[in-house]
Amino acid sequence: MSQHFLDQFLFVALPYVCLFTFFLMTVYRYRVQSFSYSSLSSQFLENKNHFWTVVPFHYGILVITAGHLIAFLMPRSLLAWNSVPWRLYVLEIAALAFGILTLIGLVGVIVRRATSVKIRKVTTPTDWILFGMLLVQTVSGVSQALIYPWGSAWFATSLSPYLWSIVKLTPDVSYVVAMPWLVKLHIVLAFLTIGFFPFTRLVHVLVIPNPYLWRKPQVVRWYSRHTK
Amino acid sequence: MSALASIRCRRRSVVRTAGRYSPRQVGSLMKGSATSRGVRRACQRIIGLAGVGGCLALCMAAIPAFGQDTPDYFRQNCTSCHTIGGGRLTGPDLKDVTKRQTREWLAKYLLNPRAVIDSGDPYAKKLYEEARNVPMPTPPAINAERAQKLLDLIEAESLLEKSQFKGLQISTAPFTDEDRARGHEIYLGMRRLEKGGTACISCHSVSKSAALGGGRLGPDLTNVFERLKGRVALSAWLVAPGTETMQPIFRNHPLSPDEIQWLVAFFESTAAESPPDPSRNQVSFLLAGLAGAITGVFFLDSLWKNRFHSVRRSLVDANTARGKS
Repeated sequence: MSQHFLDQFLFVALPYVCLFTFFLMTVYRYRVQSFSYSSLSSQFLENKNHFWTVVPFHYGILVITAGHLIAFLMPRSLLAWNSVPWRLYVLEIAALAFGILTLIGLVGVIVRRATSVKIRKVTTPTDWILFGMLLVQTVSGVSQALIYPWGSAWFATSLSPYLWSIVKLTPDVSYVVAMPWLVKLHIVLAFLTIGFFPFTRLVHVLVIPNPYLWRKPQVVRWYSRHTK
Repeated sequence: MSALASIRCRRRSVVRTAGRYSPRQVGSLMKGSATSRGVRRACQRIIGLAGVGGCLALCMAAIPAFGQDTPDYFRQNCTSCHTIGGGRLTGPDLKDVTKRQTREWLAKYLLNPRAVIDSGDPYAKKLYEEARNVPMPTPPAINAERAQKLLDLIEAESLLEKSQFKGLQISTAPFTDEDRARGHEIYLGMRRLEKGGTACISCHSVSKSAALGGGRLGPDLTNVFERLKGRVALSAWLVAPGTETMQPIFRNHPLSPDEIQWLVAFFESTAAESPPDPSRNQVSFLLAGLAGAITGVFFLDSLWKNRFHSVRRSLVDANTARGKS
């Protein structure tokens, strides 16, 4: 397969397949399996390490995802913020800090699930695949921040127009074809995660109202498979 | 009465919903795995449809890449390094290039310049050295047909007395301190570009950067003035940046002649300096990020200090405290 067609496959066909799957399956699962829209908390099974893994991961990933969304939706505003070097550095250091926070939390989540027998029992193969994808995605994101700074600026100028071209159904891969393989991996994996989203516990992100961010901490009971 | 009716109605709805699933199914649903045959079948259908949609998108996207007019393609992808009859820039003047080398060789070179250089071809090596080891990038969406059309265009333009691709008239007036200062501001992003292009610091470093240096997605620009052979070639390059990464960005946001002059003046002023050592900035950046992350963990811990820890520990702590008092 020539490079041209590989690029077309990875950055045109694959995104549409993943987005298509995401929208249809999310609606379908909500209609057919409303009960399965849950984070399936394991806090009741293990509470000692829960806080040190889940909380850093969630606050890290939420801020990082919000940052990506802002760069996608308001690239000109982001570039205006970055037009003074110290502001660019503050933004990049904050983004790196939240990226590392996500990584610390995610590694903790995986270790906790792997080492606790009770939690391992309720962890499905889908969960392990998802953790693997998220881990590679987070490592590639943090590595990019260190190897190819300043991501907030070049995301707004190169990746935002590419993503908008996908949204407007006029895909233009010229913005991404010359990017380093690490950046390409991050983009492809992001679309794969979006496509995989409706088949995983990630769907809890979409449950509205979503009080996870501001409600008081609480112990949540996990329902057994053999409930009678 | 109406409140009672409402409660009854809600109860009926709950019973109806729960009645759809057996306890085993409910357990399975709570676990989040799609196990029922119907769901699996629907998934397969949807993924099949998504596949068809993706293939259609692939076909649609492949068409415009080959549909561009040849002179436009040349202007957009070749004029940053080549003229036809206007003299050498970073790359050679292409006037009568088909008389200097066979069309077959030129077409092969156009399709993948790096591969021909790496194969040890003596003519490709000579071109590479003449360009001060700046390799020609593979032209975007190039194919055999496009290469032949480009060679036809170059042959036709070579016959003209004055080709439309003869190149720019670059001012030779000496640069002033003001030019260099404005160029520095453009590099840092402090002076907005007229057409909305992005600041150089996003992707490039230079010796006169700010605290944590410039980006590293693109090459260091400290010696770019020397590397691209001076004022004329660098100016021509900035008119239509030729790399695959910069091209799409500046295609719709070109630099103005003044901005080009200021940037060239700035890069001329850095030409004699040594490129910065990126590892120092990298370590400082990593340490700052780590410090931020560790602070974040402690902040979250203090923010949630009243969280539930464990039943036994809180009982023991309470008893110990009581014993002490």
